[in-house]
Amino acid sequence: MKGKHYHVHMAGSITELPKFDVVVVGAGNAGLMAAIKLQKAGKKTLIVEQHNLPGGCATSYVRGRFEIDPSLHELAAVGSADNPGPVRRMFNDLGLNVNWVQLKDCFRAVGRYSDGSPMDITMPCGKQAMIDAMENEVPGTRKKMEKLFRLFDEINEGLGYFSDGTNYNLRYALKHYSNMLIVGSHSCKIVFKALRLPQKCIDILSTYWSYLGVDMGRMSFLHYAMMVSSYMEEGAYIPAFTSHELSVALEDKFRELGGTIWFNCRAESFLFNDGKVCAVRTQYGDIRCKYALANVNEDIVYGRMVPKEMVTSRLKKLSNARKQKYGARMFTVHLCLDNTADQLGIKDYSIFMQGTADSEKEYANIMKGMDSNSFAIFVCYNVANPKASPDGTCICSITTFGSPADWDNLKSEDYASFKEKCARKLISQLKEYTGIDLEGHVEEVAVATPWTFARYLGTPEGCVYGHETADWDDIISRNLQVGKDYPVKGLKPIGAGGPRGDGYSSAYQCGELMADMVLRELGEAAV
Amino acid sequence: MKEKLQKLKVKISSFKLKDMLSFKNLPLRRDKAIDAASDKDINTSFPINNNARELHPPVQLMVISRIIERETAGARSLLLKKADGTGAAWFRAGQYVSVKLKIGESYVTRPYSISSSPRLTKDGKLYITVKENPGGFVSDYIMSKLKEGDKVLVSGPEGQFYHDSLRDSKNVVAVAGGSGITPFLSMAYAIRDGIEDFDLTILYGSRTEDSILFKSELDSILEETDNVRVIHVLSDERKEGFESGYITADLIRKYAPDDYSLFICGPEALYRFMEGVVRELGLPARRVRREIIGVSGKMVSSKDDRPETFHDLTVIQGPETFHIKASSRETLLVAIERAGIMAPAKCRSGECGWCRSKLISGDVIIPEQNDRRRRMDKTTGHIHPCVTFPAGDIVLEVPRGDMPDD
Repeated sequence: MKGKHYHVHMAGSITELPKFDVVVVGAGNAGLMAAIKLQKAGKKTLIVEQHNLPGGCATSYVRGRFEIDPSLHELAAVGSADNPGPVRRMFNDLGLNVNWVQLKDCFRAVGRYSDGSPMDITMPCGKQAMIDAMENEVPGTRKKMEKLFRLFDEINEGLGYFSDGTNYNLRYALKHYSNMLIVGSHSCKIVFKALRLPQKCIDILSTYWSYLGVDMGRMSFLHYAMMVSSYMEEGAYIPAFTSHELSVALEDKFRELGGTIWFNCRAESFLFNDGKVCAVRTQYGDIRCKYALANVNEDIVYGRMVPKEMVTSRLKKLSNARKQKYGARMFTVHLCLDNTADQLGIKDYSIFMQGTADSEKEYANIMKGMDSNSFAIFVCYNVANPKASPDGTCICSITTFGSPADWDNLKSEDYASFKEKCARKLISQLKEYTGIDLEGHVEEVAVATPWTFARYLGTPEGCVYGHETADWDDIISRNLQVGKDYPVKGLKPIGAGGPRGDGYSSAYQCGELMADMVLRELGEAAV
Repeated sequence: MKEKLQKLKVKISSFKLKDMLSFKNLPLRRDKAIDAASDKDINTSFPINNNARELHPPVQLMVISRIIERETAGARSLLLKKADGTGAAWFRAGQYVSVKLKIGESYVTRPYSISSSPRLTKDGKLYITVKENPGGFVSDYIMSKLKEGDKVLVSGPEGQFYHDSLRDSKNVVAVAGGSGITPFLSMAYAIRDGIEDFDLTILYGSRTEDSILFKSELDSILEETDNVRVIHVLSDERKEGFESGYITADLIRKYAPDDYSLFICGPEALYRFMEGVVRELGLPARRVRREIIGVSGKMVSSKDDRPETFHDLTVIQGPETFHIKASSRETLLVAIERAGIMAPAKCRSGECGWCRSKLISGDVIIPEQNDRRRRMDKTTGHIHPCVTFPAGDIVLEVPRGDMPDD
């Protein structure tokens, strides 16, 4: 990213920049939340953001009379006004009024079960409704599904017990959370089998695998239980005015608390003194600080922004052990249509389309490239949110994963035709799987590819998540090693690659968690 | 609840202690995986990111390699060539670049549609064309001061004024006025070169035959491809082989196929005139596209009959604060540029959002037709200074622009 261009008003043109307690690099979800927490705790905090607006992925852009959300399908952990989840609570605690819109169903899944038989099922939200719908589709599963939900309850309670910051009592844990401890090291695939769930039922439960970016064979069951039970039981939410609504609300709160934010101010590197971060080198100059948080992918932080001698052997080994397997590179076609959802025969907010519900096979197909990829998620925002677009119109997206196999060696001059070809394939798949025909109604179209995300986010391979949360590096294992994963003094990467994993709710929570850790360290330093 | 939970007994392997132990050993398992890996330096070079940067460079340093005067049309074309000898960024025919200049103490930008074939980017080349606009701060400078060999900084390709097969008809009817021909010339080249695949019918309005821009270029394209047609429409002259008068709904119907997308690019007056034409044609919104770069600021100020007033404008840019004056007749962006402050700007029509800034205090006027802000931004006081006029003293936080040094 280092500019080799003939620009610009670089470092040094300003005589003296103010000093800060903490500099947060990047105003993504984690960066914003961490900055608020730090500023609120009385730390003089600065956010430097390379773009001209906050949010990272959590943003929007305008095309004609439409406003497009580039990333958010649904947000977990919001919960209802009466029974708020962690995310709603965070926003409530900050006194922020978000126009939350609830999604009525969890999803509709269309395509083929793993045995090849046709699949078309709509899953409502809520434990009981879901158990009923499952019993209806796969008779004889009621008892087992009830057991599964009880296991979710135990896990969510247990994870709370283990991560509330106090020491845990092993005997208490063994007595109350023994099932969690038993399943705790296993993948979804193994636990589902152990619960003797019929394959069709497993297929349906696997539908959300794509939101975590890892197939069921490699996904930790605890991770699944945490994320998916929130989607299933509480239902998911979206903000009425796109993710940009969330990011701007957070930015405004940060300012109101006295925080400083500089846009178009890219951070180049971290400067050290005495083995500890002392400043951040930015386009505006060197900014001195006691601590820095980087809402930046770990590999970029340790591979590019930190002097080599500060990068420990374990950090290098950790990165190499992860083998640059980045989670979820997205390909999305956004379609702004000149008819309403009703007129177009769209009834569902989200439709998961899959050539096979076998997530391991589907994942392997996706990685081979667009030609073998048969996975896509269709979303029509207006089904849940009448304010998603002007009257008489609707706004939809179709998303799949992009594989480096397609996007590594593509030439600039072939880019437009390749992305149009991919988009066309998704639009045809929608018609084939659901009968929904969008042709002849497209008023605006925008296609986002891994190149697009690489351009705007600067993340490795344009990934929107961090490293895959899979196998030995699942979020449970990461959480258990938080103390070991951040050896550089005065610097922590935060965000999708962190111990909470990826997705909006995880990133917000990661921001809070890491800000707490910084506050503890700064507190200790003061003593 | 508690009672129920205690009854839940999940079994994975035959010894539950074994499973609990493997949970306890998760950190050990992770340590082992990490320890087994190499400790070579972390790679930060990724093909996807390199490709993205090649397609969307934030800035390109170019040399003016040739200037072609088009005196009868009152314009000059600049052939820009990448200064470092590499290829220029590929673009979609119809896109523009934002040219960044330092004129006196002012840092300014202007958007210009690229008029050449995307193919020329392989040789590092782009053509842009600048129309004279007497008294225009930037056009005067480009017309009279810039010379061959000078360096200019331009953005990567920008804008959505191009043919998209997912959205547009296979038939495009282009309505061009004056230098508004430039994006269509690029499209015509791209069709000729097999880069774009659609049929283009250009209705090109000029005052007289002499003032037609790119007449010979267009003629030669017509010889090389059947997918481009050009109909010259002269407003001030009647001549054999030319249409005369204005580009009316009837004229469009005369040349348009059944299904078509209407693309419009030209001076301010053309857009106003075309509003009625589009209504008369009854085209749905998805079949009409306008290139509006650069025109909107002018569109407003020329209609503005309020007396000119001057206001204090405080610009906060990162750690710096500037106190300047702003005229009610000019956009806030112009006031900021005039004062020598580097501001980000690309389209200069409210569309791209590149200049998005936070209004801390003060009253502003944003003409409705140019207000293309995000919905939340309208409630939080974020504005696009390129289409915003002061109506009182203003305090504004503006991100810094990427601009050339001396």
